[in-house]
Amino acid sequence: MATLRFNSLTGTVEKNPTSSFSSNPRLSWAYFQCNNKGERRASRMTVKAMGAAKYKGTQMREKKLTEMIEKKVSEAKQVCEGDETSDECKVAWDEVEEVSQAKADLRLRLEIEKKDPLESFCQENPETEECKIYED
Amino acid sequence: MAVCSAYTTQSLNSTCSISTPAKTHLGFHQKQVVFYRRSSKRGGSGSSSSPCVITCSAGDSQTVVIGLAADSGCGKSTFMRRLTSVFGGAAEPPKGGNPDSNTLISDMTTVICLDDYHSLDRTGRKEKGVTALDPRANDFDLMYEQVKAIKSGVAVDKPIYNHVTGLLDPPELIKPPKILVIEGLHPMFDERVRDLLDFSIYLDISNEVKFAWKIQRDLTLLKTLQRDMAERGHSLESIKASIEARKPDFDAYIDPQKKYADAVIEVLPTQLIPDDNEGKVLRVRLIMKEGVKHFSPVYLFDEGSTISWIPCGRKLTCSYPGIKFHYGPDTYFGNEVSILEMDGQFDRLDELIYVESHLSNISTKFYGEVTQQMLKHADFPGSNNGTGLFQTIVGLKIRDLYEQITSSKTAAPLEATKA
Repeated sequence: MATLRFNSLTGTVEKNPTSSFSSNPRLSWAYFQCNNKGERRASRMTVKAMGAAKYKGTQMREKKLTEMIEKKVSEAKQVCEGDETSDECKVAWDEVEEVSQAKADLRLRLEIEKKDPLESFCQENPETEECKIYED
Repeated sequence: MAVCSAYTTQSLNSTCSISTPAKTHLGFHQKQVVFYRRSSKRGGSGSSSSPCVITCSAGDSQTVVIGLAADSGCGKSTFMRRLTSVFGGAAEPPKGGNPDSNTLISDMTTVICLDDYHSLDRTGRKEKGVTALDPRANDFDLMYEQVKAIKSGVAVDKPIYNHVTGLLDPPELIKPPKILVIEGLHPMFDERVRDLLDFSIYLDISNEVKFAWKIQRDLTLLKTLQRDMAERGHSLESIKASIEARKPDFDAYIDPQKKYADAVIEVLPTQLIPDDNEGKVLRVRLIMKEGVKHFSPVYLFDEGSTISWIPCGRKLTCSYPGIKFHYGPDTYFGNEVSILEMDGQFDRLDELIYVESHLSNISTKFYGEVTQQMLKHADFPGSNNGTGLFQTIVGLKIRDLYEQITSSKTAAPLEATKA
């Protein structure tokens, strides 16, 4: 008989975060664990409320950056397998850092400024693909 | 205040016209040339009226240029936000331009990201095998020319480096602001650019703190639990590897700029909690160079002496781990400096105001201004420790420096317009 355990945890808001990237207060997740004939499988459901991303363009950028991070991390791991001190290895990790920072900057802007970075661009160009209102 | 000098020219007999000055944004000053024809009403002595050229330059002041060396992205960092906030107004990207622009503009300040001066885009760097930290990936000649131009009141077309695509986008127009901040990896690398800076700051994050911050930046709550699933994206190992791989270039090209900075904000792990590796409580040191024009270092109690101060006691109760201050003279890379250090964190408003009331030379305009600024941005990272405190104080020192520079310029003799 499978038993289902459900824990929920809402992300806590640090009163005054000290890190350079504040924790997302709207992150909450649920963790499921199924015990079925000794077989364990963990699955996860997440509900993550985005900052104030309003336009499709911003959502696309964020998605692209996330994908790029994943791709470049695995590239870097591959390249560095041979020689960790090679130029190729350095450049690969530098690219990872660049896109990680770009994504963090985007998130920071959404969360701290609570405004979509495309706001002023989209006021001038409302008909472009990027400026379609993003619907969750 | 406009200073106008009147000249007469023996020029060709051309029709003089009055050119209406271009509408200038508040805070921008541009050279305006007005051609004015003075009609001679005196009798027919035969002398033809010579056209006058009146050249006006608003304020006749150069842009004040501040350099900020930081490895934490560009123009969007917390420090920049605090700095622009001290001057009033929020900094925003240029309206209607490239949405991936790194530039921030507020009433008084324009913040430029030095990544815009990359000579090699992402593909180019990959081909040549150089990181963004390497000077070979940056065009220092262009950086120097453009900063020099802006400083002397001339607008420039500055390239844009797009961090999302990794390409160099078409340039954007940068008009000379009252205060120009150049932020990035190499503001003090090139000697010519260094000489243009009125004040420079280096943000020095220790490796342990860097590691802790990047974990918080790159690892969401989700990923830390993903033990059984395949690793996609960042993990503790990848973050560590990324820092390690960039370290040689960082140490070779970025770190040496420290010695040129007028102020260094050094962020270290706390000494109040043994073996702390969370990077939440921080020890922050504000290292201020002595003898810098228009800059008087902040001090505690008695300038030039050495002070150890724990504000928590009878008058002020603090929660664990408390707050510890240190102040004293020192040398840093051969320069005379004063160091103000804070270890610990603020828990309550009254701790902050208590500390502020004991600091001297903080260049506030009213009692409690530092506290007010910190509270205004209580949601910014570092608002409860030395990073926020010292960034705010440096912002006020820069305001003070700006006011000193501009008032010393208007004190120069004014020639009344005698048109």
